[in-house]
Amino acid sequence: MARFILKRVLWGFVALLIVVALAFFAVNLLLPYDYAVGLGQRPRSVTFIREQLGLDRPLVIQWLDYMFHFVRGDLGYSYEGLRVSSLVLEVLPTTVGIFAVGGIVAYLLGEWFGRLVAWSRRRLVASTANAGSVLLFTAFPPFLVFLLFYFGVPWLQEARASLGLGSRPAPGPPGLMRVLAAGVVVALVGGIVLRGWATRNDFRVMRLVAVPLGVVGFLGGLVVLGIWDEAIDWLLAPSSVVATSALIIIAFGESMLVMSAGVSQEMAEDYVFTARAKGVPESRIRDRHVAPNAVFPAISRLITSMPYLIAGLVIIEYATGVFGLGSLFFASIESGNVPVILGIVAVVGVIGVVMRIVLDVVQAMIDPRLREGSSG
Amino acid sequence: MTGTLREFEMTGWADTRRRVGNNKMIIAGLVILGSFAVLAFIHPVLRATVWSDRPDIYRPVTGHDRSIRHPSGPTLAHPLGTDPLGRDVLSLMTYGLRPSFIVAVAAAASAGAVGLVAGTSSAFFRGRYDRAMTHLSDGFMLLPPPLVFLIASKRGLMGPLELGLLYGLLFGLGPAAIVVRSRALAIMEKPFIDAARSAGGGPRWIIGHHVVPHVIPHLAVVVLAGVVGALVTQGFVEYLGIGQYRYGLGNLVYNAFAYRFALGTGVPWSTLLAGSLSISLLASSFYMISSGLRAAADPRQSARRT
Repeated sequence: MARFILKRVLWGFVALLIVVALAFFAVNLLLPYDYAVGLGQRPRSVTFIREQLGLDRPLVIQWLDYMFHFVRGDLGYSYEGLRVSSLVLEVLPTTVGIFAVGGIVAYLLGEWFGRLVAWSRRRLVASTANAGSVLLFTAFPPFLVFLLFYFGVPWLQEARASLGLGSRPAPGPPGLMRVLAAGVVVALVGGIVLRGWATRNDFRVMRLVAVPLGVVGFLGGLVVLGIWDEAIDWLLAPSSVVATSALIIIAFGESMLVMSAGVSQEMAEDYVFTARAKGVPESRIRDRHVAPNAVFPAISRLITSMPYLIAGLVIIEYATGVFGLGSLFFASIESGNVPVILGIVAVVGVIGVVMRIVLDVVQAMIDPRLREGSSG
Repeated sequence: MTGTLREFEMTGWADTRRRVGNNKMIIAGLVILGSFAVLAFIHPVLRATVWSDRPDIYRPVTGHDRSIRHPSGPTLAHPLGTDPLGRDVLSLMTYGLRPSFIVAVAAAASAGAVGLVAGTSSAFFRGRYDRAMTHLSDGFMLLPPPLVFLIASKRGLMGPLELGLLYGLLFGLGPAAIVVRSRALAIMEKPFIDAARSAGGGPRWIIGHHVVPHVIPHLAVVVLAGVVGALVTQGFVEYLGIGQYRYGLGNLVYNAFAYRFALGTGVPWSTLLAGSLSISLLASSFYMISSGLRAAADPRQSARRT
């Protein structure tokens, strides 16, 4: 197993290097203008700025330089002279928090709903649900965000007012977003793992309460840390609530489609026929026999499409005005700040690679055939 | 083959037609796509005929109807209403469909071609070439084409055609190549490939006549699903107003928002819905055809349904 993990990590590292190299050339060749031209008015100052930033060197040399620093975990400096890693780390907690909550909630809803839809005998229900989720999945983000702001935010403001909060979150203590994001991720992932364990061992009550238990644990943790008031203020911030809901809606469409396709594929298998012939109740066939087999292909498809989901989140963040990776991305495209753009693409790549490795390891733990197959 | 077997034989085309005809998703997707295609083509026709006596009202970007208040709801003169600036929404929408179609077709064609070449060649030649290509595809998988699309759209020199081709190139070398490669590897193990080899078939013949036809349906599934991302991103690029100035559906949505605030009018629902629903319906028609094809290509599922 250790060998397998090592191999996957090595693979991830190579894949990451390739992504960064591709991104480096794509960004440098595609982005039209020079940062220096934007700053300097006279040709002499433009040349000076270019020399200062090292932009006068050949592209290949710049690339080797970038890769040399990247391998050591250094994302370099933005053209204003700020560390790219600290710029990205400042906005990353918001994006990761929204992505974790949105992705996990959407996945849970999609799994549950997709299973019901695929199992339903009424074809009208199935086709309506499928068409509906295709529309959700392809919703135009700015319009979706507008609808959520127009219809949802008045309610949210009432709820905030009844809790004694202002219409915008007050600036909290530094590092609050980091604590919140880490807490949300730990709580939800813990809940999901507990749920998977309960499903395997057939603890039905545990299966149902696992994720709510994680949420309660998270809220309890806030009280224990004494940051309840500030945390709730930020968790209910209109823009991040809208961004999370938009992500849930879009990702729900996708995960439901993937899950219902998976279940209806599994339903044609012989073991379902056998179980029915033995007289096993339908709900048990669905939840215990078919769903576990359908879940893994669905999860792996969702995880491999994750970079796309992050790209969608970048668009959503920009449309809602959340200050996250998306806003930073558009701001740096606007100013032609190449190192920051590269840093963001690299971070998206790192998240994708880490998720892929985790997925592969979990799959290999569950299914020994995969472990054998890939070591040969 | 004897005569008795012949009546049970089914040609590839007849089989395809039966499977596609039985699948509601594909039919729905094709109907939506077809109606948008008609709408896109109807714009010059309408301007030449019905709208020809009042060109100043129905001109796509600069038209204005002085006789009514704007934005207005659907009327006989303006079937989809007018936007806050008094322009006819039907005219704007049918005009704005064109760049979306260009992006979709360019992305699908280039992703298909690139994916097919990259995937089949790496399955056929194996060895070091295959390993290098697989690593490259893994890299492209992690580099989301929408982000590159957004970066490139800033260039201003690139119109919908170039952006669509770029998106297709990235998508073709990533997900499409991976799917094609795995299908082609499975096909290469089949006995009929050995038979073709021993009968003296060269690489070009075997790839062209035995591998490609088996891979095409799977390629279509993944490429059509990829077009969804290209269309939504194109809409967003137009919405932001970056990229070469060319009126599109995203502009329709953006202008509805922008002039609503600037002029203080009510929410121009007809404009907003026309723009954003066109983008999502057009994108979902591709997705529907893709997921319908996936179901139709799976013999177990289509057997269960009949």
